[in-house]
Amino acid sequence: MSFRHSVTIVASPRPRVGKTLVARLLTDFHAHEGRKVVAFDVNSGEGTLAQFLPEYTKVADLSDIGGQMAFFDRLVADDGATKIVDLGAETFEQFVTVASRIGFAEEARKRGIAPAMLFAIGPDRTSVEAYRGLHSRLPHVALLPLLNEMLGHAQHRDKYPIRGAEAPLVHIPALALGLRRYIDKPPFSFSQTRLAAATDIPLDVHLELQRWLRKIYLEFREMELRLMLADLQASIRLR
Amino acid sequence: MTKPTVILVGADKGGVGKTTIARTLIDYFNAQQTPIRAFDTESPRGTLKRFHPDVTEVVDVTAVPDQMKIFDTLGTTQAAVTVIDIRAGLLSPTLQALSDIGFLDAAKKDQITFAVFHILGPSIASLQEIAETAKFVGDASYFLVKNHINDTSFFEWDPATYDSYFKQIQNAEEITVPKLNEMACEQVEISSVPYVTFVANKDAKGDPANNSFVLRGYVRHWLGNVWAEYDRVKLAELVTPKVESAVRQVG
Repeated sequence: MSFRHSVTIVASPRPRVGKTLVARLLTDFHAHEGRKVVAFDVNSGEGTLAQFLPEYTKVADLSDIGGQMAFFDRLVADDGATKIVDLGAETFEQFVTVASRIGFAEEARKRGIAPAMLFAIGPDRTSVEAYRGLHSRLPHVALLPLLNEMLGHAQHRDKYPIRGAEAPLVHIPALALGLRRYIDKPPFSFSQTRLAAATDIPLDVHLELQRWLRKIYLEFREMELRLMLADLQASIRLR
Repeated sequence: MTKPTVILVGADKGGVGKTTIARTLIDYFNAQQTPIRAFDTESPRGTLKRFHPDVTEVVDVTAVPDQMKIFDTLGTTQAAVTVIDIRAGLLSPTLQALSDIGFLDAAKKDQITFAVFHILGPSIASLQEIAETAKFVGDASYFLVKNHINDTSFFEWDPATYDSYFKQIQNAEEITVPKLNEMACEQVEISSVPYVTFVANKDAKGDPANNSFVLRGYVRHWLGNVWAEYDRVKLAELVTPKVESAVRQVG
């Protein structure tokens, strides 16, 4: 089976590990690749995805069944869109419980949608245990460990075993010091035209941002290729 | 030809979800490809008939012609299992009638497999019915069903009282039906299709339906749990003994 679209969930049971930044980058990446993108903000509080990318983002609430229907039904809908989910730490558990109960990943795969989870790794026990639990709780979701280098180097890499061949570490390289403030004021999009038109960003900062962005987009492209390859291998093995 | 099985689903009180249980039973046996037929005693218009029109006939279980329709055909019907959804208040009278026509004796002599699903309500009154029905059932398999499907109040029973009633019946087994999300429950009611059909996202005619994936997921999960209970009490073996029960999944 080859997949037409993807759903990528950016997740971690810990707050403040850069999930929303990764979701922003991923959303802009898919838009940059010329795809139709819908992003879902499943968060509470300040600085969330909906504020950064209001034109792409829908706010979702998983606390009641109405919200779950609006969210999951849309996630598996065949509307030709690539979907990104920015999953807040406080909704992580709720999401995994509901998704595994209703068979989200199986349904998505049945409809030609590849479900993947970018899991922000960390040295803490909560993250390590949540990651381990995902192997059995959401076995049909491709699990991709993600290292945010802004949080330090990957000394805890061995705590995050990889499932299958599809998922070596996805890196988010560190951004030069002092540049964070240019990208941290919502609304903000990394799209080229938007960056070029931003008069408050000096040229050297602009160039550095472009360089950083290119590295990240390369990581994302590689991630997509690996997922595609794993999918191909699986379909060959089936025959 | 296997020995025919008759399953009575009843309670002396309305609104405890008898028809729900009957529907899960029909779905359960259908999934195992056990031929089944059902009788709905809510004449003239039955709820069960609405969900399973193909296998359900509406009857008046107190009328002799309809009793003949049910029990005289047991030897000839293709269906291995006959499910009878007994209207509220008719469980004890029905058991009395079954006793009178010698049906219970036939069950005793092992010519018929007989099982009772007694659906319990959340009040203490429904425990007293157990004592009433207990004297009829004898060797029949007796299942006490705690139905939480549209659970709003907790079961307010004193465990000691409950146990004393429970022990009055030999071979009584307990089945717990878990809660199903209200909206999911309501949507299946509106669709008027069997649970399995709802999960498969079909309408009554078998055409693709447009049910919410989340609601289907909840129903599938719930039905899986209910069937797991039926597996636990070895319902399939009761109906078709000595056959390895097949591994199967919901939808």
